[in-house]
Amino acid sequence: MHEPGSSHQARAPRTLVGLSAFCSLLLAGPAIYLLIRNFTADADPFGLLATDRVQGPLWRTIKLAVLVSVSAGVLGTGLAWLTTRTNLPFPKTFSVLLTLPLVYPTFIGAAALVRTLNPGGLVNDLLGNVGIDRTPTLSGLFGSWLVLTLLTYPYVFLPVAARFSRLSTSIEQTARLLGNSAFRVFFRILMPQALGSIVAGMLLVFLYAISDFGAVAILRYDTLTRAIETNQLANRPVALALSLTLLVLAAVVVIAERLAGRRRVDASTARSSTVTRLDLGRGRIVGIVVAATVVLFAVGAPLAALLDWSVRGLLTRNRTGRRLRVDTEEIVEITGNTLAVSAVAALCAVLIVLPIAILVGRYRTRVGNFGHAVAISTFALPGILIALTGTFFINQSDWTFNTFKNSMAILIFSYTIRFAALAMGTALLAVRAVPDRLRDASQTLGADSRRRFRTVELPLMRPGLLAAGGLVLLSTMKELPISLLLSPFEFETLSTRIFGTFNESFVTEAGLMALTLVAMSFVATWALIIRPMSQSR
Amino acid sequence: MNLPKRAALLAGFALLTSACGGSDPIPNNLEGAAATVYSGDCATATETEITIYSGRSEDLVQPVLDAFECQSGISVVTNFGDPTDLALQLVEEGDRSPADVFLSKSPGAVGFLRNEGILASLDGDVTSLVDSANVGGDNSWVGITGRQRVLVYNTDIVDEADLPASVMDLTDPKYKGQVAIPATNGSFQDWFTVFRAQAGDDVAAGWLEAMVANDAIVTESNRPTVDAVGRGEYAFGLVNHYYNFQEAEALGDEHRALNHSFAADDIGSLVIVTAAGITSTSDNVDESHQLIGFMLSEGAQSYFTNDSLEYPLAAGVSPAEVLPALGDDGADFDVTFDDLGNGLTRTVEIIENSGILSN
Repeated sequence: MHEPGSSHQARAPRTLVGLSAFCSLLLAGPAIYLLIRNFTADADPFGLLATDRVQGPLWRTIKLAVLVSVSAGVLGTGLAWLTTRTNLPFPKTFSVLLTLPLVYPTFIGAAALVRTLNPGGLVNDLLGNVGIDRTPTLSGLFGSWLVLTLLTYPYVFLPVAARFSRLSTSIEQTARLLGNSAFRVFFRILMPQALGSIVAGMLLVFLYAISDFGAVAILRYDTLTRAIETNQLANRPVALALSLTLLVLAAVVVIAERLAGRRRVDASTARSSTVTRLDLGRGRIVGIVVAATVVLFAVGAPLAALLDWSVRGLLTRNRTGRRLRVDTEEIVEITGNTLAVSAVAALCAVLIVLPIAILVGRYRTRVGNFGHAVAISTFALPGILIALTGTFFINQSDWTFNTFKNSMAILIFSYTIRFAALAMGTALLAVRAVPDRLRDASQTLGADSRRRFRTVELPLMRPGLLAAGGLVLLSTMKELPISLLLSPFEFETLSTRIFGTFNESFVTEAGLMALTLVAMSFVATWALIIRPMSQSR
Repeated sequence: MNLPKRAALLAGFALLTSACGGSDPIPNNLEGAAATVYSGDCATATETEITIYSGRSEDLVQPVLDAFECQSGISVVTNFGDPTDLALQLVEEGDRSPADVFLSKSPGAVGFLRNEGILASLDGDVTSLVDSANVGGDNSWVGITGRQRVLVYNTDIVDEADLPASVMDLTDPKYKGQVAIPATNGSFQDWFTVFRAQAGDDVAAGWLEAMVANDAIVTESNRPTVDAVGRGEYAFGLVNHYYNFQEAEALGDEHRALNHSFAADDIGSLVIVTAAGITSTSDNVDESHQLIGFMLSEGAQSYFTNDSLEYPLAAGVSPAEVLPALGDDGADFDVTFDDLGNGLTRTVEIIENSGILSN
């Protein structure tokens, strides 16, 4: 293991630094907006910090985020190991299924989980037949922790699985031959090599947990986001000050992770030509049970409620003759919208983080560190703030407003900012997948830098960049506040329609469209993330 | 969705075929729910376009908007969203906002916009269509439909004899730990603001504190509260009447809940209105008034009550048969929603201080 760029003491190319600085500035938009609005609204974040009104929710937010990131870290790493390094059956199918929780918009995913698991829900009905009357209630800290863990562990699972599948098996085999147990090999050899990916994933989970509103609201846990939402209209300065508190909390954690992780870098290793998977022996059944249980709870439970809403709703409707509020033609149209806009957003997010990722991955610069920290911290901000940021900046002049209001550009741009953090981690891994000596060699052979990038580096980065884009794509497909506020008029996506119908209790329509969203995401996950990952082996 | 475009095409076609023969009436080409809203001839399409920021769902208002396009020849462009988010967006857009009309699920968001100086005064010929109780201060907004506050209860758990006559009775120990309150939701907050205005802060805050002491359960919003009561997770929920009908419609017998109305003169039976206002920056003030007037017409009001089961507020339309009758003509209280915008800040403070959010 070595420091990034330690073999390249050369200074970073000026164009790269300039480009990164520009991208970093764009990514800093929401933070700048928030500071300006705190100032203009006379918000008093410091005074507010001293009150119970903030301290309670702040403490609960931190507690929840720490618990969720730890459990998602353990679960995500364990599942990544099972699917990539052991002889678990159907590893690819499991990989796709285990990624799926990412696609549930939290407001409907959490509600569906509650519908299935809570008292009187579907599971309760099933268990009632065998005489079990009451199931535990998901609520408060416990419920929020469980639901958020189930919805976010893929942020750890995906990068770690990608990392594991690229690690050489030779050291592992030698260690095993020398009589080390599978456990010892995992903790002493595999895990240290993937620690960077694990921590990066846990960081995303942490930030997701502090920014989440949908799940904690449904599960009745009073965190900062709930306090923000409650004060949004009632007391604007308080809502703004609380949002700033959230951003500062995120920045502190992101910077702390950078400082602590300075020496911990997942060094690039040559890809192994052969992958030998650990024979779990009798443990194989345990592996199957663990993976299947996670799939059952994280994917199956919400799916069950969605199916129940749709199918039961269609059946009762047949009887009562009430009209369905969406038709096939509309679902096809908004599905097309959703896919198109998400694909473009994914591409843009990868492009905006790539210069910063290359800079951070290969050189040591302030600009790189700053851009990286900004991109990642922004992930903790509620989506509504990113949407308002877009409106604020285009509203600085008649020309910008008239040009960009109602444009695809502002919508895509806002998605890009919102999800840059997701692309950043994976893009960084992709950059590091290019061995230094390979770049040196091609340089010595006289390839100019542009050609070198295209013919040598890009093919090596491809699976990582696809995965980065895939993560952004999946998240954009379910994004809500930005889609609602910045979509051109009359342009609707699956998530905006689901929100409208679900909120008004048209659960049948919401269920049908959510199922469409899950199906689309299933295909996207397979094509963009899992297939390239296994091909790169 | 394609109705407007189709209507415009047909209109163009009709103009061509009628040559110089003046504007012959265009036959009504509305389909589905929109056809029940308006059945007359369609007007010739005009150049005018009005933009609506709608905090009310497309599922509820789109048929009315389609019908309006046919009736008036004015095209309507929509931005659907969460009322709170749309209100913040309007403030951020300021003078350059393209919005002409704002539709809200509850008076809180329009009250907020009025305080921000974003809503214009509505003309008397629109405000006079509804009871004066359903008009905002300075004529800044007008009620379109009503949603009654009710107590939804689980029929397997609750005996009808135990249903309270007043919302004030819910502080009784026999309801301990059984009542769910969506305390952070707009409709509860609006109700609580009116409660404060009627009974005074001491009484209202005292009631909420007693509810907290009685282990009331805080929930997110109406839908999940009704969902949980329908499953039997909680016995009671304080919600708007509307949601239980939709859940029962979708889930049939699986949904084990009914609405209970408090006594007609009880504050617990307040009707919360959905509202519409016109922005002070609108360039299409007349057309916007036309739209609001249309939403208060007989066709639209009867669609709102028969299709989405809300209470009509105008044109002498009676509530759908399945809806329990309100007290005398729906205006049970001498309520003005006037204070709702201003009062919201204090309402949220009281709610936060009551401790219910961590219950």
